[in-house]
Amino acid sequence: MSASDAFRARVAKAVADRRVVQAVHLATWRKVSARQAGFALLRNAEELRDLASQIKQHTLENLPQYLEQFVTQVRRVGGQIHWAKDAAAARAIICDLARGYASHLAVKVKSMTTEEVDLNHALEAIGVRVVETDLGEFIVQIDHDRPSHIVTPIIHKDRRQIAAAMAREIGCEYTEDPTELTKLARRYLRDIFRRCDLGISGVNFGVAETGTICLCTNEGNGRMSTTRPRVHIALMGIEKVIPRMRDLAVFLKLLSRSSTGQPMGSYTTLITGPKRPADPDGPERLHVVLLDNGRADILRGPFAEVLKCIRCGACLNACPVYRNIGGHAYNSVYPGPIGSLVTPLLNADRRHDDLPRASSLCGACYVACPVKINIPDLLVKLRAATRARQPWGKRAALRAWCWAMCSASTYRQGQRLMRTFLPDDGEGWTTRGVGPLGEWTATRDLPRPPSKSFRQLWEEGLADER
Amino acid sequence: MNADAPRADVAQAINVDPAVREALRGLRRQTESVPRRTALPDLAERVRQVGADEDLVRRFEQAATAAGAHVHLVSQTDQNPGRQAGARLPAGGIGPRADAKRCAWIAKVRELLQARGAKTALLATARPDSALNSERRQELVMFLAADGIAEQSTPDDETLFSVDAAITDVSAAIAETGTIVCVSGPGLARGASLIPPVHIAVVAAQQILPDLYDYLEQIGADADLPASHMLISGPSKTADIEGVLVTGMHGPGELHVIVLM
Repeated sequence: MSASDAFRARVAKAVADRRVVQAVHLATWRKVSARQAGFALLRNAEELRDLASQIKQHTLENLPQYLEQFVTQVRRVGGQIHWAKDAAAARAIICDLARGYASHLAVKVKSMTTEEVDLNHALEAIGVRVVETDLGEFIVQIDHDRPSHIVTPIIHKDRRQIAAAMAREIGCEYTEDPTELTKLARRYLRDIFRRCDLGISGVNFGVAETGTICLCTNEGNGRMSTTRPRVHIALMGIEKVIPRMRDLAVFLKLLSRSSTGQPMGSYTTLITGPKRPADPDGPERLHVVLLDNGRADILRGPFAEVLKCIRCGACLNACPVYRNIGGHAYNSVYPGPIGSLVTPLLNADRRHDDLPRASSLCGACYVACPVKINIPDLLVKLRAATRARQPWGKRAALRAWCWAMCSASTYRQGQRLMRTFLPDDGEGWTTRGVGPLGEWTATRDLPRPPSKSFRQLWEEGLADER
Repeated sequence: MNADAPRADVAQAINVDPAVREALRGLRRQTESVPRRTALPDLAERVRQVGADEDLVRRFEQAATAAGAHVHLVSQTDQNPGRQAGARLPAGGIGPRADAKRCAWIAKVRELLQARGAKTALLATARPDSALNSERRQELVMFLAADGIAEQSTPDDETLFSVDAAITDVSAAIAETGTIVCVSGPGLARGASLIPPVHIAVVAAQQILPDLYDYLEQIGADADLPASHMLISGPSKTADIEGVLVTGMHGPGELHVIVLM
């Protein structure tokens, strides 16, 4: 099966599961309205988005300098720095550290970067038990599932599935009450937190000025995992650095509002080095692993803008495609509009060529993006960049389409032909095209042209009617 | 090169792993072609949502309540210590320090603890300049003892995981977001505001800053930051199961903020 067929099969499967589609619709709409309410409380939301975009742009343009400053400051406050050029290097560094500290039980804060490098399997292969501590990620882990949203990983699961997984995997009593389920998970994870010896997190922002890493969570797992174990390893994408502590204010005002609509998440933790000798608790060692994994290449190219992303998930919630196919259909760590850019860019092979094409280019993601990444524009550019790998027939058909649209006479002829030959499958839509059109309408509906064009109506006196 | 960018060779001066230094050099070479045309913007007035001239206590109360915290404003000018403290003074009295102006907040702490049937409470304060200075702390301890609540002040594992509540001071509060800030340091356990099921934070009204920006700007200039700044806005919460909001996932399920007016 080609990558394209596999993608279509996943989409067909996802769309057919009404329960999941409904759950995702409900959850994303809730988040969209929460985001709007959160932004409405800002005096100057648009200006903040501009500032955030500008700070990220400036940082990306000067990335090596800011990383050097960050590295220097982390060292100054007693942290260790490592550099991982790719996913394999990141896994090797973190596994080496875990071995060196003789770790047996690692607790993990929800982190997209560690998903990106597929860290858990590597650690488990060397005998370290890894426990996800974000409630959603914990349930994904015990149910041997995959996250389907970058902020709310179990957006696709209902309480019955969660209750069943919890009862089966951790041996607690069966209950479908979210409050009770949360309590049971709390009790189970508390025991883990008492025994763990390694904490692993991602990084939301790294402040160059002070060598501080910022973690944002609502549950407190970010704090638990960086308070209880004696070692803390943070895996940080190199694009996560920001210049100054005060720049953080701009991003924090936007991040939670974009994710959940909250003005600020429950816990924003700023970690500057390991525990000081007189502190009663906290990790004695702090390791920050800087991850490139293709980011430097993206930075040099025409898609550098994607590196501004702060992983808030607003574009997923806003996207009509994501809402209908859910996260799993993307078959990628990063789903949704931003994932359709990041995934093919980080994995430069043809497996993900369909992702930038699975978009209606409606622009809802651009409007929602707190750092104003022009996602639809980049999707079009990415389509163009991978055009040569598209099937011959499709390229020919699109070339013909382009030619026809470029001249008034062929355009008019085309309209006439479409009116004659497009079958009407009800309510003015063509859902089953014939011939080469069948390929197109297999996954999309085509609006039928009206019986008379605007030009005809105009000629017949529309102009006089007002 | 942009004027705002930091100096190029800072990494040379300190003890950075040669592999990391080499990687940074490589990144510099790789990205030489990236045009540098965007300046770092000035922020101050463009970022602030709340100004210093506003009613900060009220803004704090609104925002913290919206985040799920319980805010208790306690006046310090009440006249009758006995009634405000909720009961007769402990046998033998608590000395002249327990003057009228200081007891209303203690009554609130006792009320909260008693309503939850608390038997033990961790008292984690170490800042001489905070709302819980040594005098206030001493008063509180005496009242708690009179109520039969064992006060713990050593934040070891056993204590953190077993106490019924933690009472802490804060290093700052933020009106815009209803946030309290705890920091790590000698005597200041990160776990105190995190592990016990109820967190009672005592804030002096003067500690409330207008905007998140004000706080971050202030600590950005600090060359000697504590290892951990914990910005806390409401109790621990999750909505991972069908979007239903549940408090107390990992951290405290209840956050009470007592503001001393």
